[in-house]
Amino acid sequence: MGTAMTVAVAVSAFAFGILVGSLGASAKLSHSLALNVVADVYTTIVRGIPELLVIYLLFFGGSGVASSIAAAFGYDGRVDLNAFTIGVLAVGLISGAYSTEVIRGAVQSVPFGQIEAARACGMSRWLILRRVLVPQTLRFALPGLGNVWQLTLKDTALVSVTALAELMRVTHLAAGATRQPFLFYGTAAVLYLMLTTVSTALFNRAEISANRGVRRA
Amino acid sequence: MHRHPPVSDSAPAAVVVEDLHKRFGELEVLKGVSLTAHEGDVITLIGSSGSGKSTLLRCINMLEIPDDGRVVIGGEAIALKKTRGGASVPADSRQVERMRTRLGMVFQSFNLWTHMTILQNVIEAPVHVLGVPKAEAVDRARMLLDKVGILAKADAYPVQLSGGQQQRAAIARALAMQPKVMLFDEPTSALDPELVGEVLRVIRQLADEGNTMILVTHEMGFAREVASKVVFLHQGRIEEEGSPDKVLTNPDSDRVRQFLSRHLSGAA
Repeated sequence: MGTAMTVAVAVSAFAFGILVGSLGASAKLSHSLALNVVADVYTTIVRGIPELLVIYLLFFGGSGVASSIAAAFGYDGRVDLNAFTIGVLAVGLISGAYSTEVIRGAVQSVPFGQIEAARACGMSRWLILRRVLVPQTLRFALPGLGNVWQLTLKDTALVSVTALAELMRVTHLAAGATRQPFLFYGTAAVLYLMLTTVSTALFNRAEISANRGVRRA
Repeated sequence: MHRHPPVSDSAPAAVVVEDLHKRFGELEVLKGVSLTAHEGDVITLIGSSGSGKSTLLRCINMLEIPDDGRVVIGGEAIALKKTRGGASVPADSRQVERMRTRLGMVFQSFNLWTHMTILQNVIEAPVHVLGVPKAEAVDRARMLLDKVGILAKADAYPVQLSGGQQQRAAIARALAMQPKVMLFDEPTSALDPELVGEVLRVIRQLADEGNTMILVTHEMGFAREVASKVVFLHQGRIEEEGSPDKVLTNPDSDRVRQFLSRHLSGAA
């Protein structure tokens, strides 16, 4: 049960992180100075403070901020964000900061000639993005994103402080109740290890498929 | 034998360039160049590196945006406007995209899309830009790959091909758009010497078939053989232009004479 919740938080947070990371990378690569600064501030802060602190900030501060935003729109009650949402947002924001850097580097690795060839064929910006830039970026980003995924998976353990019943929280409760901490924490370690091993294998497969026609020759 | 017949000036103009200026920062690369390619023309642009010949070619399909002057493709002028900062930009990106579909471009470094097979490279723009049905695009792509001699490599990825094969694939990709004009930017400069011939053969065949082409090249012998007109650029201006026989054997300009003596005795 706890494992399923851990996977759910990790997958949602990683997906949210990639969305944030794509926006962050476009902001960093844009010609607008304001967007550059916003993205730099985001990655500097999130990567520069302890992850646990980000979760505390969102968990204890998040509901208050959400309530005052709701109040500004004329809603009077208290808005409670549930622990799952907070967990996904917090871990996703952390994951997104690292994804931003990975994706930015990957976009810059795409040879400019490939973009130029697409422009020369009359492709629109959107078509170039979809057919050339994204597939090529993915190829360069996958190894880095695999790392971010592992970090994200492990960061979900920090969400246990919000009492969300994910793997770490459940283990902690069981260890306390049965007074067999080594057995339960040991089991949790094995479960985390299984998750990371399986997902690493999946990422390796994805890399091979994205590298079709690149490394084989 | 292969000598290109002179093209009559009464043939319709495929590409007209008028008083083109292009600056990169402080450096003025083109200082007012005018050029007309009539249908069926094969124009070779020659000159030392830094003379502006590649920039001129890249301005024709707006990979570089000229600061001043006009580019007219098939009678339609590409509309440009100035930003507040004074930079020149296309007034309508749709128009530029439409113009580019009529101009096939072949790059020095091939620039095939590495994540697609050769066949996918060739059908990509016809299917996604022109909306050609996929089956039809595949048929045509196979015909073109056969024409350039690499049909057997249709399902290979670019990295599995030699430079000469990649460049021939890139030519097929450009031809797949059925362009009105083909632009070649030093198509053999990145190739090992023994692979140059196979690419030049394909380009010569296209010239013999009456395609309109503008070609930047260092291959003087080839320029003489295929060109209907040779244009020599020097420091952003046209120094001399005319028939290959005139410009390459009996030029008026001393600069051209010096350039030729370096190039004909040396690499060629």
